[in-house]
Amino acid sequence: MTASVSLADLTAWLGAFRDLVTENRDYLTELDSAIGDADHGANMARGMGAVLDKLGQAEPAVTVDELFKGVGMTLVSSVGGASGPLYGTFFLRFGVAAGAVSELDGPALSSALAAGLGGVIARGKAEAGDKTMLDALAPALEAFDDALADGLPAAAAAAASAAAAGRDATLDLVARKGRASYLGERSAGHLDPGATSTAYLFEALAGVVA
Amino acid sequence: MIGIVVVSHSPALAEAAVELALQMVPGDRPPIAIAAGAGDGVIGTDATRVAAAIEEVASPDGVLVFMDLGSALMSTELALEFVADPDLRVKLTSAPFVEGLLAGIVRASGGASLDEVEEEARGALAAKSAQLGDDPAADPGVPSGPSVPGTAAGLRVDLELANPSGLHARPASLIAAAAMAADAKTTVENLRTGSGPVRADSSIALMSLGARTGDSIRVSSTGPGAAVLLDKISALVADGFGEL
Repeated sequence: MTASVSLADLTAWLGAFRDLVTENRDYLTELDSAIGDADHGANMARGMGAVLDKLGQAEPAVTVDELFKGVGMTLVSSVGGASGPLYGTFFLRFGVAAGAVSELDGPALSSALAAGLGGVIARGKAEAGDKTMLDALAPALEAFDDALADGLPAAAAAAASAAAAGRDATLDLVARKGRASYLGERSAGHLDPGATSTAYLFEALAGVVA
Repeated sequence: MIGIVVVSHSPALAEAAVELALQMVPGDRPPIAIAAGAGDGVIGTDATRVAAAIEEVASPDGVLVFMDLGSALMSTELALEFVADPDLRVKLTSAPFVEGLLAGIVRASGGASLDEVEEEARGALAAKSAQLGDDPAADPGVPSGPSVPGTAAGLRVDLELANPSGLHARPASLIAAAAMAADAKTTVENLRTGSGPVRADSSIALMSLGARTGDSIRVSSTGPGAAVLLDKISALVADGFGEL
């Protein structure tokens, strides 16, 4: 059983996330065209594409903080929409919390994810139920921690399920943050694009840590 | 002079808003940097560009940042984490993008402090609200004007506006610039409507008087520079602010 994730695993996680947002680019954009500015798919695919391009060109990072600093800065300057500062802050804080190490065990991964969550909350100032990425991210982390005693793969799988459930629960919510909030009640009945891409982030993690 | 940073999703929007504001500034301009778009023609914002723009116009006087909406706010807040100088004063303003930028740039060009410029910019909807008859009590952030009523110790003069546009933006900024430069406390009221008195050193407050051609305004001033200032304002009005 996997007891920790290496730099190679983390890089594979980013690659799998890139693949998911790229495969689902049109779907994410379709969700965003219903309640936003119809750019989430294009933005995430471009941003994660830039991340992986950069990782392919640069000398491989030797520590987790170095890896994620690069990831965060690339997202910040290549995404364009609100996901840039939000995912950018998530990965920047993830890296700082992880520190200058070359692998993360379960508790260390949990701490890094929690720091990322803290960054998203600080940046977006959203709360649970506002119909944002937080509605997938927060339950994912809670499920991760609850299942960690059963090992890292179980925790990652539980996080992925919880993120997906959180994403599905955004369907009926009325948006209170971001552009969708201008729509008020009309934002209900649509999945939140940010919660949907966050569910891919945890689907990717579960795939890599299986 | 403080530095001004303009953050927008769209370079065209930012450039046009700055151009509009700069029409009001005949002389020295504050340093202005635009951080707009996410590169390659993508509509969006980029925190690293915002940080670079802040550093470009940074000085000990500080930097005021105007943002259009949404991710512009988050990118700017994130950009503050990238700015190298920990002592640099940077303020993010909730001022309306177009009106606030105009009011802020005019005020900054007169050498006002970061806090003064921010307050002026944040109150920049006052003139629009007054014109359209919004409830003033519901209007946040209007710079509160009356500080000096026309006292016995002060001087005052009543002037009739002859220029076609009345106390609109450019004439108001000329009076405000003169008032800011003078060692005097000065207010202006509109004798036709009874509105005011408001601070003469705030172009936005002056615009909120809604003074038109033919209206009489009362300028009251106290302080060592009062007489010279009233002469100056009288001359501006007599000259029709250059519009005649």
